[in-house]
Amino acid sequence: MSNSLQVKGLRRQFGNVVALEEFNLDVAKGELVALLGPSGCGKTTALRIIAGLEKSDAGSVILNGKDISSTAAHMRNMGMVFQAYSLFPHLTVAENVAFGLKMRKIGRESRDAKIDSILELVGLHTHHKRFPHQLSGGQQQRVALARALVIEPEVLLLDEPLSALDAQVRTNLREEIRRLQLSLGTTTLFVTHDQEEAMAISDRVGVMSNGRLEQIDIPDALYNNPASTFVANFVGTMNHIPGMQQGDNVTIFGKNIRVKNSKGSNGSVSVLVRPESIEVTRTSGSGNAKIITRSFLGASSQIICQTPEGAVIQALMPSHESGDLHPGEDVTLNVTLNEVLVSHG
Amino acid sequence: MNPSTNSNVDVKGALVKKGAFHGFFTSFPLPLAPIFIFLLFFFLWPITALTGNAFKSNEGAFTFSNITMLFQDPYRMAFKNSISLGLISALVGAIPGLAIAIAIEKQGSRTLKKFISSISGVLANTGGVPLAFMFLAAFGPAGLVITALKSVGIDLYGLGFNLFSFTGLIIVYAYFQIPIMVIVITPALTSLRKEWKDSAASLGASRFQYWLKVGIPILMPSFIACYLLLFASAFSAFATARAMTVGNIALVPLQIGSLVDGNVTINQANLGYALAFGMIVVSLFAMIPYIWIQSRTSKWQNR
Amino acid sequence: MKNLGSKLTLVIAGVFIFFPIYAATEFSFRTGATHSHGFAAYRWIFEQSGFLENLGITLRITALAVILNLAIMVPTVTWLHLSGQRYKRLIEILTILPLIIPVVALATGAQLSMPGFMQNSVYELSFMYVVVAMPYTYRALDIGLSGHPLSTLTNAARNLGASWLKALTSVVIPTIRPSVLAALFLMIALSLGEFTLAQLLHWTTFPVWVTNVSQQNVMGATALGMGSLFFAWILLFAFSFIGGRNSSTVQEEE
Repeated sequence: MSNSLQVKGLRRQFGNVVALEEFNLDVAKGELVALLGPSGCGKTTALRIIAGLEKSDAGSVILNGKDISSTAAHMRNMGMVFQAYSLFPHLTVAENVAFGLKMRKIGRESRDAKIDSILELVGLHTHHKRFPHQLSGGQQQRVALARALVIEPEVLLLDEPLSALDAQVRTNLREEIRRLQLSLGTTTLFVTHDQEEAMAISDRVGVMSNGRLEQIDIPDALYNNPASTFVANFVGTMNHIPGMQQGDNVTIFGKNIRVKNSKGSNGSVSVLVRPESIEVTRTSGSGNAKIITRSFLGASSQIICQTPEGAVIQALMPSHESGDLHPGEDVTLNVTLNEVLVSHG
Repeated sequence: MNPSTNSNVDVKGALVKKGAFHGFFTSFPLPLAPIFIFLLFFFLWPITALTGNAFKSNEGAFTFSNITMLFQDPYRMAFKNSISLGLISALVGAIPGLAIAIAIEKQGSRTLKKFISSISGVLANTGGVPLAFMFLAAFGPAGLVITALKSVGIDLYGLGFNLFSFTGLIIVYAYFQIPIMVIVITPALTSLRKEWKDSAASLGASRFQYWLKVGIPILMPSFIACYLLLFASAFSAFATARAMTVGNIALVPLQIGSLVDGNVTINQANLGYALAFGMIVVSLFAMIPYIWIQSRTSKWQNR
Repeated sequence: MKNLGSKLTLVIAGVFIFFPIYAATEFSFRTGATHSHGFAAYRWIFEQSGFLENLGITLRITALAVILNLAIMVPTVTWLHLSGQRYKRLIEILTILPLIIPVVALATGAQLSMPGFMQNSVYELSFMYVVVAMPYTYRALDIGLSGHPLSTLTNAARNLGASWLKALTSVVIPTIRPSVLAALFLMIALSLGEFTLAQLLHWTTFPVWVTNVSQQNVMGATALGMGSLFFAWILLFAFSFIGGRNSSTVQEEE
């Protein structure tokens, strides 16, 4: 699988703030890669440098083997969708979509055919003559997508396209983006701060923090094998449970479990356990925790408990197994894994 | 939900039901009465009165004769002058004003913007005698600029320049027209979203193509609106015109002024009102499109 | 390189704007026929016999105009924002109408329509000034109030136990104070400098008096013009720091 887009050693500094440091990325043809991180982590800066809208202090951007670092933004043939206000307000939907085609001097007949088919693809084929201010937020973003895709770009760049939309629209639209991207085979780079979004639709996700790419991998690997505490906390929910490590094992809730990332040291550590790996059972007599709240989430229920030492632990269990658990009850917590990750401090 | 129709919520005003007002409003909110009455007495009534008198003869009969007199000299000349003054001064104010507003936006420094907005406010309201004397001090026959140029051999007055001419008026008017333009066009400029420029670039448009296809079309309505506002401002200006002219240029506001001061012959009693009515008609042609454009563009400017 | 064009434009603009100011200022500091400089021209206007009297007239007219604004504009706009959007469009259209009519025309009409007792009082000008300022004062109030959800605030206050009066005094008035000040400032600025209506209605206000007296002393008149320009400038600059509390929302930490 050839690499469509390669980014090497990008660096960008604004005054004293280093926005991007040693940023490397390879995106394969047809892949959807997400750049995930909190605001200020550099993900948007990286995207804008790739688009050519900003300059980097160092590093290069290579498209299909050709170095485009010094190519002007309007010559890069990359489609881009922004968080909001992407559409030109004085043009209709059809005219907006036609814009890129007109820049490429595509003839009227061919243009109209392409516009019709792309608007059909995003489900807005009856909205040709509408103006942006007559559309809802979700519709506007779909037009923006159509406009970016109709020019058959080398790479599709999405800068938090769903952040300004309602929850329900967000979920629907992200599926549509994935569907479009797959059917057209467009290489896509998707920037977001919403980890659920990124994990749901991406081939690979790159987690960023403070200008650096902490880990880039398929969603499963990020979730189950986070490379750092930051990734562990940012992706999904993670419990930090105090435990005592001895050699390659750690003792937690009276059980000895092997440590995955063991360096063989001894001492107190934080054990990283996902909520679904914690089992909560009622005890007769005193257990090792007390239930604070139980939230019914449909198929699963979230149970929040507190140990006598004061640690607050989140557990996620199937609802049909936890129906008899109530706030204030004594319970026994158990980790259902054979090996765990720990962090020091 | 409109609280005034919700019976559970106290509203400061009461809905006055049918029967209390005859005419247009069957349910009319009492709190709005003050402003209505105010505008009725101090705005609508004067305008109606003067319109009525514009069409009255000395005996009180309806006549067009006052209006037809407007199409004869010296009144025809006055309208011609005032309208040209409006059109030219608006252009002289609009283009530099736009350039300056763009330059300010590009520079972006906050202190600069605060500074500009405060002096623009003051300069836009400068007029009349203070402004005239300021220009006299600089560009009058003994003015600083004139004497400075004379000392390097350029005699502007000898070449035909005169501050108290139509050209001089345009120059002086520019002093408050340009700040007005800067003030009024800046909101339109700031409403140009960065995303539009970036989108255009990513779709293949060069800087020039962006301005041609996106920037200018979006700004055009606002620019036209501002031009119309400047036209009305120059057309209606009184204080500065009075200070700058010595009776050598016929302008409508000045003619009205002299008629009001009592320089009227017996059969021209209602001529002043006809002139005023004419002014209103010309002003309508500029201000109604201005208001229409402003209300339309606020749709995408206030998002 | 990109900013060179804009810098150049601003420099040229600066020269054109400030050169006459410089020229007039230099002129105004000249003493007599000699080329020495002094404050004589600036003292001149204060020494004129009508100075205090006419200033007083204009200040009194301004005061009444401010009171009229407080009595009419502020309650109307506040009510509009508290009671919903139904009449907003109508009032918007009404308050922009004065912009269409040239002040000269309004003056001739006023002379015709105003009842005798009003025409005998200089305070008729206050009423006309409120009309002329209306497009600006309305917009200032409207934009200022739009930044705050007044009806939500008053509902919250009343929900917490405040009577209508208490809600008004402790919630509404403090909230709208900056916008009201801004609108009143516009009114004052207009009233202090208004010439056309006063002149055409045959009243002698401060601006009219200044114009008449200026015929006698060119240097003094220039000093007066510059003095009032600088004074207004300083006032406005100072005011831009005080007034107008923006409704900027706090950025959420993500």
